[in-house]
Amino acid sequence: MLNLEKLTEVLISVVMAFIVGAVVLLLLGHHPLEVYSILFKYGYTNINYLLNKSTPLIMTGLAFSIPSIAGVFNIGGESQLYVGAFLGLLVAYYTGNAIIAIIVGSLAGALLGLFIGILRVYRGINEVITAIMVNWIFYYLIAYLIASRFYNPEVSHESVPVPKSARIPSIGDLSLIFIIAVAVAIAYYYLLYFTDIGYKLRVSGISPASARYAGFDPNKSILVSMFLGGMAAGLGGVLLVLGVTYSIDDTLTAIYGLGFTGIGIGLLGRNHPIGIIFSSLFLSGLLIGGQWVELKTGAPPELADTLIGVIVIALAIPYAYRMLMKRIREGRA
Amino acid sequence: MRKMGLVLSLVGLLLVSIAAGCIGGTTETQEKKVKVAILFDVGGRGDLSFNDMAYLGAERAKKELGVEVEYMTPKSKEDMVPLLEQLAQSKEYDLLVLVGFLWTSPLNEVADKYPDQKFALIDSTTGKVRQNEVDILFREQEVAALMGVIASGMAYELGGDTIGAVAGMDIPPLWKFHIGYLFGAKYFEKKTGKPVKLLWQYTGTFGDTQVGYNTAMQLLQQGAKVLYGLAGLTHVGMFDAVRDWNEQGRGKALAMGQDASQEWYAPKYIPISGAKRVDVAVYDAIKMVVDGTWKGGIITLGLKENGVGYWDLDGVRQFAEFAKEAGKLKDMTPDEVVQIVKEQREKYIKPYVWDIVHELEEKIKNGEIVFKTPKTHEEYEQIIRELEKGNLNAALEKGSVE
Repeated sequence: MLNLEKLTEVLISVVMAFIVGAVVLLLLGHHPLEVYSILFKYGYTNINYLLNKSTPLIMTGLAFSIPSIAGVFNIGGESQLYVGAFLGLLVAYYTGNAIIAIIVGSLAGALLGLFIGILRVYRGINEVITAIMVNWIFYYLIAYLIASRFYNPEVSHESVPVPKSARIPSIGDLSLIFIIAVAVAIAYYYLLYFTDIGYKLRVSGISPASARYAGFDPNKSILVSMFLGGMAAGLGGVLLVLGVTYSIDDTLTAIYGLGFTGIGIGLLGRNHPIGIIFSSLFLSGLLIGGQWVELKTGAPPELADTLIGVIVIALAIPYAYRMLMKRIREGRA
Repeated sequence: MRKMGLVLSLVGLLLVSIAAGCIGGTTETQEKKVKVAILFDVGGRGDLSFNDMAYLGAERAKKELGVEVEYMTPKSKEDMVPLLEQLAQSKEYDLLVLVGFLWTSPLNEVADKYPDQKFALIDSTTGKVRQNEVDILFREQEVAALMGVIASGMAYELGGDTIGAVAGMDIPPLWKFHIGYLFGAKYFEKKTGKPVKLLWQYTGTFGDTQVGYNTAMQLLQQGAKVLYGLAGLTHVGMFDAVRDWNEQGRGKALAMGQDASQEWYAPKYIPISGAKRVDVAVYDAIKMVVDGTWKGGIITLGLKENGVGYWDLDGVRQFAEFAKEAGKLKDMTPDEVVQIVKEQREKYIKPYVWDIVHELEEKIKNGEIVFKTPKTHEEYEQIIRELEKGNLNAALEKGSVE
């Protein structure tokens, strides 16, 4: 649960992060206040853009956090998002129906997550290694399929488009896909903290031995968590394609990297579904604002990335510190 | 403990703000300058090619036309539409220059909503004519034809009769390169009576150096003496393959780059590069706004407009200097690069080859011959088949080669 102590911790980290960021900016010869004011002015004012940008990140944040709560490190949110995006696109293209596309895309992500979980549980293969390899397999597979089979003959570097009937619209400044993402995050919150499955997941994560003692199988929790996580990532991919990009380009620029950013989002949100909504909004704003920093100050675009890196690290430090202390204390006990 | 931290942070923040305030103090010029935003591809600057050339053109416009230029690199394709909308809404910029084909569909979505905002799309077209939009394309066939002649001449200097190309994807711009390159080879054949064979290979990727390396090795094993790189990052692998081929003593071969001057990468083995002057396109677009000669539509740049061609030694020096700034020019100075390239050009491109090149260049420039641009894959294949048979006129829309 998000309590006051955790909230203060996050706030202090944010302040510290901006101070460290300011020092970096000064060292590189930029005016920190100017850069920050641009970052906030442009990052958080275009509401629809911000919400759209946050949507897939909320989902990949969940894709990292849910397995993380059950004790699995899911770095495969990336490929789970790819398959969701790609299959969602294809289904939308052939059926013109957004609902079927969403179901197929989420399920594809879920199954891919489950696959990694199965290898971990039944074959003892480290999920990080499997997931990284799966990420690359799907990156190239989808890049190949888009370039060779499902390209748009009118714009040859893009995939076939999502037909008008299957696009998820924005209602004014309110992005419908963001609403869906928030609803899913709340559902996951309920699932984790108010249901039997959620309880088992959390106990398995904290102590597999206690779970076993209590009479439930921690391995099953791993499978469930990977299924749920993969489903979130897959859904994130579908929402992005049906609601924002309407196609995927052959270098996958629109979907690449979202799964990795999701890890940062999850850590920032302290693995809490509601926290993830906010951390995703916060980081999306920084990402959006970062692009304007280059335009307005002439700073290289990498500067904004550096700043985001510093902020994410500073925010993650207390969490990492507590995890480390916990491990050490457990080791002594 | 925690409170202490908070207080310290706030004090820190205050100190930084004060320091920042002292350093600040920007002066603003009052006169109204033409203001341009250059929107790069998602790759952004530092590619020593497409995006850097756009930068070069904009910087030249800044110096020569006195315009104000700002740059932006979108994070990914999903950011392109909202950024474009926000920039257009701000009404701050007289012109938005969009660099590269990724901008095509975002522009198509946004352009009609902002009729007062001028857009210039470089190296792609939305296929629509709008008053507020200029699409600048290149006539790639013209540079490829010259490179075909040069490659053929170099192949004979190396004791072979086969030239090759490591191409990216099977897409319209590459069709144009293929037609031009083959045309050049056959033109050389016609003028000298020396037969030339062309090995053309699509790799299916613009971003994989390993694939470029393997493809180049295969072509070299099949006897290609000169390889033309037409695959973006992929053909950097081709450069490596050609260097290894020479240095491992497996034979003698040379490479040619495209778009930017790429000689600096391995000056001993890359005597020449074809030019696609993205910088000229960007400069021209800005100039149209400054001069008040703006007219919406599609513009193509060829040899005549200096939009394509081959890099002279000044160009080679400029890009060698870029590479040095980027820390990529390892153990050479730009001067040494230029020196080596000069020697290699003299050694491998003989005067009789230059004569043919200049003759062809002249014919293209004065409009005596104009190349076809295929609309479909069938048409493209048809032209290639005819060229292979030695029917050069099949590639021409206007004029003929006897």
